[in-house]
Amino acid sequence: MAFHPRRALAVFWKDSLDLRKNKGLLWTMAVLPAMLVLIPAGIVYGYAHDPGDPSLRTMALFYDPSIRTAASAARFLIDKTLTDWFGLYLIMPIFVPIFISSQSVAGEKERRTLEPLLASPVTAAEILAGKSLASLVPAVALSVAAFIVLCILVDLVAWPYTHELLLPNGMWLFGVLVVAPLFAFFGNGIAVLVSARVAEARMAQQLSGLVTLPLIGLVGGQLAGLLKAGTVYYAIEGGIVLLLDLALVVAAIRLFDRERLISRWV
Amino acid sequence: MSAIEVVGLTKRFGPRLAVDRLTFQVDVGEVFGLLGPNGSGKTTTVRLLTGLLSPSEGQASVCGYSIAGAGESLRRAVGLLTENPGLYDRLSARENLMFFIKLNELEPREAWARAAHYLARFGLGGREDEPCGSYSKGMRQKLAIVRAIVHRPKILFLDEPTSGLDPEAARTVRDAIAELATEGSTIVLCSHNLVEVEQLCQRVAVIKTSLLALATIDSLRRSDPVLEIRFAGDPAPFTPAVASLPFATSVSVRGGTMRVQLQSEEQAADVISHLALAGARIYSAMPARMPLEQVYLDLMRRDGVG
Repeated sequence: MAFHPRRALAVFWKDSLDLRKNKGLLWTMAVLPAMLVLIPAGIVYGYAHDPGDPSLRTMALFYDPSIRTAASAARFLIDKTLTDWFGLYLIMPIFVPIFISSQSVAGEKERRTLEPLLASPVTAAEILAGKSLASLVPAVALSVAAFIVLCILVDLVAWPYTHELLLPNGMWLFGVLVVAPLFAFFGNGIAVLVSARVAEARMAQQLSGLVTLPLIGLVGGQLAGLLKAGTVYYAIEGGIVLLLDLALVVAAIRLFDRERLISRWV
Repeated sequence: MSAIEVVGLTKRFGPRLAVDRLTFQVDVGEVFGLLGPNGSGKTTTVRLLTGLLSPSEGQASVCGYSIAGAGESLRRAVGLLTENPGLYDRLSARENLMFFIKLNELEPREAWARAAHYLARFGLGGREDEPCGSYSKGMRQKLAIVRAIVHRPKILFLDEPTSGLDPEAARTVRDAIAELATEGSTIVLCSHNLVEVEQLCQRVAVIKTSLLALATIDSLRRSDPVLEIRFAGDPAPFTPAVASLPFATSVSVRGGTMRVQLQSEEQAADVISHLALAGARIYSAMPARMPLEQVYLDLMRRDGVG
């Protein structure tokens, strides 16, 4: 069966239009990037505002016993915060596609719009491609936009202390431009698969959201000093997710078929 | 020529038999009714014939395409109105229709002109840019009909088109279907609304998992012929005479009218001459048709007993 890009783009067009008109979902989606940008900027401000605070050295010594002064401890903690925070930041490119794809696939079942769609000439692969695109484009765009805002805020609050630009750095650029899209693809794939099996968008969101738990666990490990994050660490995470993405593509193509979608829902 | 040929069509969902060995055909230009109670397999049959489900056994061709494997070509040839209109509420009527115009890869300007023509005909003209969420049920159903026909399908499947509508909205939807029928479209109307089927369809298949009856509405209603005789005076004294006829299966009297159930229509002449010989004065005698509802209920009852 031939793949018609125009039909996949039609699905993308419709889903994007529907998303733009879904104010509730847009507000929900905006909360996560706002938190992921404001919190690290606030933490960096705390360290840069009073770098001589002796308690900073105590904190820094927990992670690195070679820290000598409170001032160098402040810089160490700022750098560590920014490095570790990327682990949490990756929740955004996973979660945004989960929000969108759950609405667009399970939401179609819930609103009973799936049957007319499946009765049209569009193929399951075209629906899958169009819906994935409609979820990935905003997820990646939001990740990049939030990163730009994060760079501006962090540099603004840290400048009086560091007198240099902390962001963007190589690790964050690699992370936002390479690792984050892989995570977005992962979040979308999980949401599409779960949505194809359940009848309600909310249930699809809740079940798909569980995939962020390992990521939170990893960040917990970083904060406990058990894992040391950095470019290589995130590259390994990205590599693992790439393999999972490939498995998801195979699974999605096998599971996302007309009959399964219709009979799961009736 | 047949628009639809169905032979031994069967569908199972796991152990559950949804449709059992259906066999029927629908002619080009015919308005064909698919009757049956809830859960009788009507919607499954429509889904099979529109390529949404594949059969467990049997075969069917729709517009010359086999339902097993034709896929895209089949879906291009048919239009489907689902029981629920299935519109995108946040999008306007125009955006909903444009989406399906794009999915069918139609020339947008020409297809929109056609859609706008139908919108105007169904009383939706001028409201195409309002979100569908603000439409009434009847308006939504009419918009869904326009969506189902915008690509000029050869066969239109209408699954419970007036279900859940108030009488006025149901009437406007029925009128819209009748208009399409006059244009020569082949329509398969799936319903348990007998009035609607009686008004719109030429032939019906009554199903309850399997096929219970397949006939024109007229012949279904005349399957047990009833003669209705109006008397000048009281018909009661003539009841024993008519009841004694071997082919009169039942005789009833109400006011000045006697109803005689016969085994065949030809026996009506014998009843009339018998009454005339007995001295009855008759105003009129004509075959009474059983209401479709009665026919349908009898079929369901027989199937339940069987």
